[in-house]
Amino acid sequence: MTNETNKKSLKSFFILWAVLTVFGIVVSLTVFSHYMPKSMSDNQHLTILTVVIFSVAAAPVAAGVYAASYYALRHWTYRGETPPPAAEAVRENNVLTTTWVLTSLVLTVFLLIWGLGALAVDNSSTGKNPLVVDVTGQQWVWSFAYPGTHVQSNELYLPEGREVIFHIEAKDVTHGFWIAQMGVQVDANVGTVTEMHTTPNKLGTFDIRCTQFCGLNHAFMVTQGHVVTPTQFNNWLAAQPQRS
Amino acid sequence: MNRSKSLGVALASVLLGGAVLAAGGYALASASPHQSALSCVPSQSAANTCSLHFSTFPDALAGEHGSNGGPHPDWVSYSNDNMVVPANTTVNVTIDQYDSGGALNNAFFDQVMGTVDGTATIDGQTVTHVDPTQIGHTFTLRGIPGSGTNLFVSVPLPADNNSGTPVTIGAGQYAKPVVVKFTFKTGSAGVYEWNCEYPCGGSRQGQFGEAMSTFGYMSGTLTVK
Repeated sequence: MTNETNKKSLKSFFILWAVLTVFGIVVSLTVFSHYMPKSMSDNQHLTILTVVIFSVAAAPVAAGVYAASYYALRHWTYRGETPPPAAEAVRENNVLTTTWVLTSLVLTVFLLIWGLGALAVDNSSTGKNPLVVDVTGQQWVWSFAYPGTHVQSNELYLPEGREVIFHIEAKDVTHGFWIAQMGVQVDANVGTVTEMHTTPNKLGTFDIRCTQFCGLNHAFMVTQGHVVTPTQFNNWLAAQPQRS
Repeated sequence: MNRSKSLGVALASVLLGGAVLAAGGYALASASPHQSALSCVPSQSAANTCSLHFSTFPDALAGEHGSNGGPHPDWVSYSNDNMVVPANTTVNVTIDQYDSGGALNNAFFDQVMGTVDGTATIDGQTVTHVDPTQIGHTFTLRGIPGSGTNLFVSVPLPADNNSGTPVTIGAGQYAKPVVVKFTFKTGSAGVYEWNCEYPCGGSRQGQFGEAMSTFGYMSGTLTVK
């Protein structure tokens, strides 16, 4: 391949890389967030933001891989019986390897810092009058108890705007407690209570599912939750039957 | 091998693999020990009302598993697993509970939930919950949110501590049962799942293995149509 042809090929590589990068960023900003569960808490908002930002950060990397693959297949395919001599090894190209390593380092450190920060924020407590809910997973029903009250229920009711602390455990095998709309997902284990925090910030209904394959009727281990106003929540608590 | 021949071989491989998976799935589904469905008997005196009557046993000798109890004669069982009821109907349920029992591992299931008035009768006595340390089984029925009616009914069935002259049912002999009655209302058509929540399935999986994890024993479907 002549130098002139090589320059043209590289130019087409960079054009393809740029186009694919723009496409990846547009998809990241529009499609992913559109198909994720709608946010009903700050946790889920942070989850959506994290997915979008990580996707945007990954877009140029993925585009580079696809563009390089196309470049290699387009320009380095040889069908004859005597292939040309191998090209210069990439490891000899100091500019390319330095750029590669530095870019990877920057991206990895960014993902690490963002991930640790998101984890810390995701499960932090405001300490302001939190509502404790004991969550129990058992083949194949979720049940919820509200300590300090007489209430146990198969549906989860939460007041809007008040921090909730879930104490999650299982009675038989490992289950997965997942409220998609609140960004809450954690294993429910036998003999261990796992704590998760969230603050519902939108009125509405949500589904609670099991995310660990837990046996025969795992697919039916789904129940409903409701975020209601504080007044409606207190009325619901008071309306639940007393154990005589 | 030319290109079209390669494509043909690849396509045939995919089709063959799909056919093998489909045949395996069909064989597994056919082998599931589902019993004939128990239909709700319409009431002669009340409109939109019907009755279901079934039992729980300490073994599989009296249900529909065959005269020798089928492959697991020593497993606890309900007499029926699949039930059919009409939509938007009041269903009166009677369960004859012949099994002994013990303590629930989750006291939540000692409550009567989802029935008319939130009550059931145990040998004629109206209750809202029972002693969680003396449970034989539970009948816990539920639907999937967003699919049909969001139905949830759970009724504890106390342990049968009766003694006396045993009665013979099928190939089994049992003491006088605890009779549990309750009423619930169906909503829209759909298929709902029910199972027992008392850990009665042997020693594996937190006592939720064996009879608790096999179709035809301690779980089934309620078809509303």
